[in-house]
Amino acid sequence: MRQINLFKLVLLVGLLLVAGTTVAKPGDLDRGKEIYDKRCTWCHGDEGDGLGAAEEYLNPPPRDFTSGNYKVKTSGFDEMVPNDDDVYRMIRDGMPGTSMPGWSSLLSKQDMWDLVAYVKMFAEFEEAPEQQVDYGTPVATSAESIAKGKEIFEDGDRCVECHGKTGKGDAIKGLKGDASERTWPRNLTKPWTYLGSNTPKDIFTRISAGIPGTEMPSFADPKSKKVLSIEERWHVANYVVSLAKTEKVINAENTVIKADMLEGDLPDSPDDERWEQTIPTTFLLVPQIIGEERFFKPSNDTITVRAVYNDKAVAMLLEWDDRTKSIPGDERAEKIADKPIQEDGVAVQLPIEIPDKMVKPYFGMGDATHPVNLWQWKSGTTDAAETVAMFNSRGFKDVEARDAADAGLQAKGSYHEGTWRVVMVRPLTTADAENDLQFIEGRFIPVAFAAWDGSNLGEKGSRHTMTTWYWLLLKPSTGVMPIIMALLIAGLFAGALLWWARNAATGKAAGKDSKEGTV
Amino acid sequence: MIMIKKRRIPRLLQLVLVVLGIYFGFILTFDVILGQLIPKSLLTMYMFFVISGVLMVFTFTEESTQELIDPIKALVEDPSKKMLRNIVFVIVPLLAGLYTYSSLSLSFEAPVELRTIHPAPPSKVKAYGKRFDLATLENPYRKYEKEDPDKFRELVKEGGDVYIQGCQYCHGDKLDGKGPYAEGLNPTPLNFQDVGTIAQLQESYVFWRIATGGPGLPAEAAPWISSMPVWQDFLSEDEIWKVILFLYDYTGHQPRSWEHE
Ligand code: HEC
Ligand code: HEC
Ligand code: HEC
Repeated sequence: MRQINLFKLVLLVGLLLVAGTTVAKPGDLDRGKEIYDKRCTWCHGDEGDGLGAAEEYLNPPPRDFTSGNYKVKTSGFDEMVPNDDDVYRMIRDGMPGTSMPGWSSLLSKQDMWDLVAYVKMFAEFEEAPEQQVDYGTPVATSAESIAKGKEIFEDGDRCVECHGKTGKGDAIKGLKGDASERTWPRNLTKPWTYLGSNTPKDIFTRISAGIPGTEMPSFADPKSKKVLSIEERWHVANYVVSLAKTEKVINAENTVIKADMLEGDLPDSPDDERWEQTIPTTFLLVPQIIGEERFFKPSNDTITVRAVYNDKAVAMLLEWDDRTKSIPGDERAEKIADKPIQEDGVAVQLPIEIPDKMVKPYFGMGDATHPVNLWQWKSGTTDAAETVAMFNSRGFKDVEARDAADAGLQAKGSYHEGTWRVVMVRPLTTADAENDLQFIEGRFIPVAFAAWDGSNLGEKGSRHTMTTWYWLLLKPSTGVMPIIMALLIAGLFAGALLWWARNAATGKAAGKDSKEGTV
Repeated sequence: MIMIKKRRIPRLLQLVLVVLGIYFGFILTFDVILGQLIPKSLLTMYMFFVISGVLMVFTFTEESTQELIDPIKALVEDPSKKMLRNIVFVIVPLLAGLYTYSSLSLSFEAPVELRTIHPAPPSKVKAYGKRFDLATLENPYRKYEKEDPDKFRELVKEGGDVYIQGCQYCHGDKLDGKGPYAEGLNPTPLNFQDVGTIAQLQESYVFWRIATGGPGLPAEAAPWISSMPVWQDFLSEDEIWKVILFLYDYTGHQPRSWEHE
């Protein structure tokens, strides 16, 4: 009986597996249209031309399917037509770093295949592609392969030309996509922003097929001066994988910046080596889409914060990848920037008092009853040095300038290969306790950040990216207390147990004795 | 007597099992099913009550107390259990020491923050410089759903345009609360597909929440203000009513109505 059931089960699972793989049958155009009209027209437009209602609010813009460009495809570089599996994959998984979501949570497999058929129809793609990316013999990753890949990446500025020396996409080149939208070369150190993935195979495919509709070229094209052999492409792919910067991954659980206590002076320069020993915490930067004037097309995406303190002051290191060093007046910077160029900037927001009962000010610059204190650093122009300013505000519209020097606030920034690092230092306490936060160790202090990329659509004023409230904690140094207490408690327990056992033993012995006595 | 003396799990083991079961139950419901890590401090508090409760049940009668204590007593007093005793006597102090150490060397977890997502609305709300009575306020377009389905489709479509231009960044293009910026906000934007949000609400309540946004919530919904924008600053009353049509249409939920009460 059992065995028969087991047999049936295996058969069933087998059937299901077979069914799962054969679902890839051609999609139904009519059903595809029905689903498309309900779910996709908002962005991609009724006619598939990318002119849905959302068009002007998104960067990258929704794809114009009539262009026939598919960015993530495995067909050969000289083929427009993608494989059905490629289109299916993007619909199922979505495209990270863009507003194109993955649909598998809402649509069935068949729905998605129907959509593949319908979407391809806009470019009149009917035949399957003839050419495919040739993978040859994959080269497994190794120190040697990565070193070779690095050489190829840098040789004749092959990839460096656009992706920059460290791969952060910071090379000085203004790029455009086919829809004449501004495109930025991918920051290769943040693999979670790849449209495909950062497995060697996916990267190999992108390098081989290029990214259609953008200036990312194919390196398999023999007509290209920069053409690479299959083996060379595997080495570069392995190198690109090795570029990932894990401390810049956002961990949603980690909402606390922990500042260690330092003996002696605080690091007051971004390049101080002691920052290496601190714990980085990374937060998502969200464009300011809440109050007038709203801003929808950001370029900065995360900010990484570290902090330390001593008995006098607290220092924070704010670090974020920004592809452009925006210095108004600087010829190179002006050339690549959207006009008009503005200064880059960063700001720290703190409540004026450490709130009781967790009542925080409104995260967008405070509110009438809960003002905030803002420290804003700006990168300077060719004529003026970097600056730090201080404001107190009760909402967007009620902002009062303060004297940063009076409060002892200092800031210093440095830009290096696609990354800004800015240190801000302020004394723990100030003379004006009414208007400045007084730092206290061991308390959870709400803190938020904002950043401006002056080369991106003239970010300035309320047009910027920001974080929600997180926490800053000046970690009280516990010293050796915990160890001493732990030993003490363990000793007490051991003592008590021994005493109990001994007592029990002698008690029993005594009992026996008395029993024997009565006999 | 002999009848009752069936083989069964010792009381002490039962107690340990029950406590462990509840402990993992909490972790399972919060961390796995609800997908929300339960803060340590909260878990400690819950477990304190659980252990006190379970102890109370297990020591309800003298007999049951005795049954609980006996194996412990035996462990300490019975010479034949010497080996086990030695092991326990090493482990227990070690555990106590470890616990002391970890609780003293602060964990620095973020404070627990609890809030009400659907506070009771004030009976009269102010928006667009007017007062609205939520008890009688109705969506002026709802009637077309039956009277003029074509016109209704048109209105839903206009609402969809408002949504995709203003709301998808946070609430998501699938209305699942997972827009591209949702993770960067606290509290996170609500998931309209979920049965716990708009499916529970009247359209007038939804109108109020959209028009006045996070800053418009009464104090009990604090302790702090959500990122939901104040839409009366950007949208007309009409546009809000249309976007509400879209929210219900797309998710397939029905607004709650007074008749159903
Ligand atoms: C909120 C807007 C939005 C919605 C809704 C949306 N998309 Fe997209 N979609 C985009 C954007 C933006 C891109 C382009 C991303 C890029 O170029 O990097 C895109 C790209 C695509 C691509 C191109 C993939 C490639 O390899 O280049 C396909 C296919 C696609 N979408 C299908 C769909 C389908 C099918 C639906 C409906 C089920 C849909 N999209 C709904 C915004 C959207
Ligand atoms: C002419 C400029 C240019 C050159 C040269 C270039 N890239 Fe790119 N690359 C881009 C742009 C632009 C994008 C982003 C396209 C988009 O908007 O989706 C990109 C994207 C990428 C991606 C991201 C793929 C994904 O899934 O999102 C990878 C990986 C990459 N490039 C690797 C390379 C490597 C390796 C080289 C050298 C062999 C190289 N690129 C050379 C412009 C360039
Ligand atoms: C900046 C992000 C953001 C944008 C943009 C946004 N919302 Fe919200 N929304 C939120 C947050 C956050 C909440 C509140 C969550 C909470 O209180 O727990 C919310 C709550 C709501 C609620 C209350 C639901 C309930 O069950 O109480 C409605 C309705 C709503 N939003 C509709 C909209 C509409 C319609 C738009 C566009 C016109 C929009 N939102 C745009 C972030 C946003």
